[in-house]
Amino acid sequence: MAAPHPFNMSDKTSDQALTRRSFLRGSAAVSGLAALAASLSPLRELKDFTSTEEFLQKYYKELSPEEMKKVLARIERQVEREYGIRPHVRDLRPMDGVEFVYCLNLTRCIGCRKCVHACVAENNQSRNPEIQYIRVLRLPHGSLDLEKAEHRYEAKEVPEKGFFYMPVQCQQCENPPCVKVCPVNATWQEKDGITVIDYDWCIGCRYCAAACPYWARRFNFARPEIPKERLNPQMAYLGNRPRQRGVMEKCHFCLQRTREGRYPACLEVCPVGARKFGNILDPNSEVSHILREKRVFIQLKEETGTSPRFFYYFDK
Amino acid sequence: MSTAVRNYATFLSRCARIAFVGDWRYYAWMGVLTAIALIGLHAYCKQFVHGLMVTGMSDEVSWGVYIANFTFLVGVAAAAVMMVIPVYIYDNEELHDLVIFGELLAVAAIVMCLLFVTVDLGRPDRFWHLIPILGQMNFPNSMLSWDVIVLNGYLLLNVHICGYLLYCRYQKRRPSKWFYIPFVFIAIVWAVSIHTVTAFLYVGLGGRPFWNSAIVGPRFLASAFAAGPALIILALQVVRRVTASAPALAGGESVSPDQRLLSAGRPATLQDFNQLAENLPELATVPTGVLHSCLLNALVLQAGTGDMLLRQGARDTDVFFVVRGHVVVKREEGGRIRITRTLGPGEIFGEVSALGRVPRTASAFAEEPSTIIRLPAEALAMLMRTPAVGEYVRAKMTERLLISDHALLTLRGIVQVSMIINVFLLANEVFKEFYSGNLHVASSKYLFLGLHGYHALVPWIWAAVALNLIGMVLLILPISRSLKWLDVACVCCIVGIWIEKGMGLVIPGFIPTPLGAIVEYNPSLNETLVCFGIWAFGLLLYTIFLRMSVPILQGRLTRANEGLPEAA
Repeated sequence: MAAPHPFNMSDKTSDQALTRRSFLRGSAAVSGLAALAASLSPLRELKDFTSTEEFLQKYYKELSPEEMKKVLARIERQVEREYGIRPHVRDLRPMDGVEFVYCLNLTRCIGCRKCVHACVAENNQSRNPEIQYIRVLRLPHGSLDLEKAEHRYEAKEVPEKGFFYMPVQCQQCENPPCVKVCPVNATWQEKDGITVIDYDWCIGCRYCAAACPYWARRFNFARPEIPKERLNPQMAYLGNRPRQRGVMEKCHFCLQRTREGRYPACLEVCPVGARKFGNILDPNSEVSHILREKRVFIQLKEETGTSPRFFYYFDK
Repeated sequence: MSTAVRNYATFLSRCARIAFVGDWRYYAWMGVLTAIALIGLHAYCKQFVHGLMVTGMSDEVSWGVYIANFTFLVGVAAAAVMMVIPVYIYDNEELHDLVIFGELLAVAAIVMCLLFVTVDLGRPDRFWHLIPILGQMNFPNSMLSWDVIVLNGYLLLNVHICGYLLYCRYQKRRPSKWFYIPFVFIAIVWAVSIHTVTAFLYVGLGGRPFWNSAIVGPRFLASAFAAGPALIILALQVVRRVTASAPALAGGESVSPDQRLLSAGRPATLQDFNQLAENLPELATVPTGVLHSCLLNALVLQAGTGDMLLRQGARDTDVFFVVRGHVVVKREEGGRIRITRTLGPGEIFGEVSALGRVPRTASAFAEEPSTIIRLPAEALAMLMRTPAVGEYVRAKMTERLLISDHALLTLRGIVQVSMIINVFLLANEVFKEFYSGNLHVASSKYLFLGLHGYHALVPWIWAAVALNLIGMVLLILPISRSLKWLDVACVCCIVGIWIEKGMGLVIPGFIPTPLGAIVEYNPSLNETLVCFGIWAFGLLLYTIFLRMSVPILQGRLTRANEGLPEAA
């Protein structure tokens, strides 16, 4: 090619030109680094550093009993440091011969939302931003069309004429879509039918939230805030221990209570006895009786094939 | 072995160095992109500290613009394959080197995809939970784990193919087919898979009727194969502009339309060929028998200063060799004349259009009294059967990196067909939703008409529909054979599809919620800045890839010139 060779340096290149160039280069590099440092500056506000121990923690199902003990101790320490209360954190496993089922009597429910708040208190849900596992829907008589549901009804007195109320929480599906979609197995179904989340394993992709047909899953968009005096110190690893920022949580049938043979908090607080809970494998349990005897009961969104363990029924 | 490693390290370091060399426009462009990327990084650091609270997302709408951009970019990455298919399956020579630009775009797009997924994670520090063996991968149950595998696999495939071909070109050695052809074919199938899997992310959710539709997969592919090549059409024109205007020696006077073409000459003799061979040693390897048969139709032209040898847009099929003197090649583009290059003794011109049977892409003039040999294309094809000449001509064709209008129009054909299919499939979906009118129509109603007084997405989707239709009509009309209108059509398609597939697909899936509540979504400023940052970073990456690959493909950055400073 006849064009001047592009790599030829001009003869005029002097030391001066070189110094100018290296000066320019140097200042470009310095200002680049300064800009990089400036853009990283918000990191200085980072408070909740993940400890190495926590970062490297193994998957729940792979923890040996000794390792589990250490993990529980670490969580207790962390909670104590943060809230000033020494909690009792346990790893409660499902009981043999038990499969939990929930029945909710829609004839009785008056929409008072006491269950919502009892749940928040029992399960150490964030008060700011507010996280609630139970959503009570107000529906006009004669329709189960959820699009007609009012979520934010404000009534001076409940029940209101012409409406019925339907509390919705995790339906503990037999065929849970949320478990299927989780890319890291951070959520799974245990043999007592409860779908749990390992808060230390969840990566926060929120795919389960997209998959859930019941809008039962909640995400910690910010660091949860719980007033110290409201903290429930009776905790379970897969249950109500405080969650971190950036992970999923949801109703787990109060496993810290129910796996010890107690009722869930929402049931205990219900003033009209609309909520029934028990072991479906026990033919004498209340839920077995209801499912045998009541004529009308509903599995929400049956067509999605999720087969919930949560049954709505009417008395009359 | 160690020499091989050292050679490779030299290659990498030279590539890295050349990324920092360019003219002021390059520095300005890179500076702006770096600044935007850093602003994005700043915004992300805020999000990292305060959580996803700083975004517009909520429990009701739990995915937003991050996942919308991710979905769009998977399509762009997949569509790079549309350049590969004509080249490797139909042997389209013209697009051959352009494929690398497509694959590099795929690499940049996948990196952007991975970034968009990462910024969407609540716990990015736990990414290792996704890695098989180390963590827990829910494979094959979770479509997201499939996506992790196919996206990373696709990234590796494309990095390998581009890297290998470029390194061979750098070393001036012929790439071994076994090292890349199988991967190219795997990549074709793989590209379809990445977008199908991404569609299945949505399609597989029975609780979200808006997504739970079999047509989403085909729609994703159709829209990707429209938006991807459309983006490549625009990128190639930028590459062409930047590379074509390099050595401008003479002024930019216009080409007179009525200047006569110099066509008279005398029959060529073996002596003329011998004289040419002095500057073109490859010619000496051609058997005399072949040379004799080439002589039959060869002419020798004696050109005076300013004589025209080639006319842009003409459809003749001769090729030219410069025996003596210099020839300047000028290209008229949008009313301006660009001198694309000057040629000296031993050099060939006119071969791209002659061999490709396309109109001349530029005009050529003698810069000084010159001797030129003119051959019909068939004669050149005969000469090219001698391996040395064949390689020389092909190398020259690449060096010029003529991104011909014809190549762009081939891509136009792809965008055109894909866009028609895309609009058709969208119409299918809309019909099914609204005509059957069952309860599941709520999301579509929200998207297209607004629902119960909420209509944040309505202007967006109608803008998308309008852009898609305008783009499609322009592509169907013959006016889009002119680059200006083709560019307009491409921009319409890209923006239209970005809205339709990003905001128009991801967001309405969440509205109303499965329990019937309507909570709208608006991306926050911080979230938007993160998006801009990632886009800027992706463009930065693509620019660097082009900055490295163009001189390698042109033969300006080779092993032969190691040790010399890199030129702008």
